[in-house]
Amino acid sequence: MYGYILRRLVFGGLTVLGVSIVVFVVLRILPGDPLVAIFGPEGFTKLSDAERARYMADLGLSDPLVVQYLHWMGDILRGNLGRSFFRAESVADMLSRRGPLTAEIALIAVVLSWIVGIPVAIISALKPNSLGDNVSRFFSILFLAIPGFWFGMLIVLACLFWFGYRAPMAGASLFADPWTNLQLVIGPAVVLGLGQAAYIARMARSSLLEVIREDYVRTARAKGLPGRMVISLHALPNALLPVITLSGILVGFVLAGSIPVERAFAVPGLGFAMYIAVYERDVFVMQNLVFLYSIVFVVLNILIDVTIAWLDPRIRYR
Amino acid sequence: MTAADPDTALPLDPAARVPEAAAPGRWRRFARNLRNFARRSPLSAFWGCIAAAIIVIAIAAPLIAPYPPLKSDFRAMTKPPAAPHYFGTDQIGRDTLSRVIYGSRASLAVAIGAVLFGTTLGSLWGLASGYFGGRFDIVSQRIIEFLQSFPDLILAMAIAMALGAGFGTVIVAIAITRIPFGGRVIRAVVLSLKEMSYVEAARGLGASHLRMMARHILPQCIAPYLILATTHLGVAIIIEASLGFLGVGIPPPTPTWGNMLADSLNAGLVPPWWLVLFPGCAITLTVLAFSLLGDGIRDLVDPRLRGAVSVRGKGAAL
Repeated sequence: MYGYILRRLVFGGLTVLGVSIVVFVVLRILPGDPLVAIFGPEGFTKLSDAERARYMADLGLSDPLVVQYLHWMGDILRGNLGRSFFRAESVADMLSRRGPLTAEIALIAVVLSWIVGIPVAIISALKPNSLGDNVSRFFSILFLAIPGFWFGMLIVLACLFWFGYRAPMAGASLFADPWTNLQLVIGPAVVLGLGQAAYIARMARSSLLEVIREDYVRTARAKGLPGRMVISLHALPNALLPVITLSGILVGFVLAGSIPVERAFAVPGLGFAMYIAVYERDVFVMQNLVFLYSIVFVVLNILIDVTIAWLDPRIRYR
Repeated sequence: MTAADPDTALPLDPAARVPEAAAPGRWRRFARNLRNFARRSPLSAFWGCIAAAIIVIAIAAPLIAPYPPLKSDFRAMTKPPAAPHYFGTDQIGRDTLSRVIYGSRASLAVAIGAVLFGTTLGSLWGLASGYFGGRFDIVSQRIIEFLQSFPDLILAMAIAMALGAGFGTVIVAIAITRIPFGGRVIRAVVLSLKEMSYVEAARGLGASHLRMMARHILPQCIAPYLILATTHLGVAIIIEASLGFLGVGIPPPTPTWGNMLADSLNAGLVPPWWLVLFPGCAITLTVLAFSLLGDGIRDLVDPRLRGAVSVRGKGAAL
C-alpha cells in the first residue's frame, strides 16, 4: 500500500511538472503579444519601440524562455502568485477571499450529485427498461445536454419573476454570515450538482447492472436475503468503486463548470475571478489560476486513486 | 476506382462497367442500412433526423431566417415574442429567431471543425501509439495524460485567450481538448486488434507498417471513431457556447448561441427571458440530438463499446 502511494505521488509530481510546462507553453509561447493584451490593440500601437522593449524587460518577458519558466516556478514555490494588471487584487487575495466560495460550491455539488444520482441509479438498475428506468435515463441524458450556465440563468430569471427574489450580490464568508453565504452558494451548487448527478446516475446504473449479474449476488439472493438488502449490502459497495473514480474526475469539471455558472449567478467566487481574468486578457493571473486549478485536479485524483486502492486491494498489485 | 480509358478498354471489360453498376448498388445498400437502423432503434433515428434538420437549417440559414441577423430595427427594441418577431428582439432590435438560426452556423462549424481536427488527430495518434508500442507509446501516453490533467473548458479557455479571439482559434482551442479522447479510445481498440490472427497473418505475409495500419487496422477503427466523433460534437458545442458566454469565443457581432446568452446579460439589470430561453434551447436540442444519435450508432455497431466511449470522463480508463 505504501509502495502504491509513493508511486502515485512520484507520478503526480511528474504530472504537475508536465502540466506547468503545458500552461507555460499555452499562455507564454503561443503567438499573441502580452503587451497587446495589457494595453489593448490601440494602446499598443501608440507605444514606441523603446517603450515596448522597456515594458517587456520590466515584465521579464525579454529573458530567454527557460529563464522565464524557472522564474515563474521559483515565484510559485516561494508562494508569490503575482497580481492582476488591472486590479488591486493579488492572486493570493483572490484565493483567500474567493476560494472558499468556490470550494463550498464544489463540495455541495459533489454531495448533491451522490444524493440524487445513486438512488436514481438504484431505481433504474433494479428494474431495467421499466418506466422509472426510462424516465431517469431520459433526465440524465437531458442534464448532460443542458449547459449549466444556461440552466443557472433560467433559475435566476425564474426566481426573479415568480418570487421577486435575487441572491445577494456581495460575497460573505461562511462563518461571518452563514445565511447570506448559503444563498450565494446554493444556486451554482444545485446547477452543477444536478449536472454531475446525471453522470453519476449513468455510471452507477451500468456498474450496478454488471455487478448484479455476478455469482456472489445470486448466492445472496439464493440464501433468501430480501432484494433491498442484497443491493445495499452486497451489490452497491462493489458497484460504487468506478463511481468514486468518476466523481474525482467530475470535481475537475465542477471547478471548470463553475466559471460560467458563477458568472450566470454573479457569485463572486474564484470562477468569477477567472472569468474576469479571461475577459481582461490578464495573462499572468490566468496562468497562475489555471496552474492552481490543475494542481487541485491532480491532487484530487491522487487522493481518489489511493482511496480506491485502499478499498479494492486488487488495484494495488496491478 | 479510376475509370478505364474509353479508347483502350473493351466494351465488355468488367472493370469498365463496374462504376455504373456499383453506384446504384451502393446507394441501395446504404438506404437499406438506414432503414435497418431506423427499425432497430427508432428513437435514435428520430434524433438523427433532428440532427440532420439542424445541419440543413445551418446551411440554409439565409433562406430560412426571416431577417438578416445583424440588422437592427430601432422601432422594435427589446420586444417580447410577438407577430413579426416570433422569438422577440434584443436590446438593439435584432431579431432573435434569425440570430438563433444563424447561430447554428457558428456552433456547428466550430464543433465539426474541432472534432474533425482534434478527434481525428487524436485517433491517428492513438493508432500509431497503439500499433508501435514501446517508447513512442509511453511518451505519447504521458503527453496525453498531461493534456487530460486540465478540465477541458479551462484548457480551451486558456488556449483561446492566448491565441486571441477568432473563428480559427476557437476551433483550435476546442480541438486540442479533444485529442486525448481520440488517442485513448482508438489506442485501446488498436491494442486488442493487434493480437488478432488476421493482423498477424498480414504481418507474416510481409506487409509494411503503413499497409498494416491503413489496410488492416484502420477500417476496424472507423466505427469507434464515428461514435466518438458524434458524441464529442455535442461536447464541443457546449464548450463553444461556454467560451462565447465567457467572452473568448467567436467575437461579436457574429451571432453564436454563447454570444447571445452573454449579450442578454448586458440587456439591462434583468435579462429579458426570451433572450435567455431560445439560444439555450437551441444548444440543448442540438447537443441532445448528437449525443443520442451517437448512442444509437454505438448500440447498433458495437454494443461492447458501451463503457469505452464515455462522453466526458476518462474514456477507456474507467
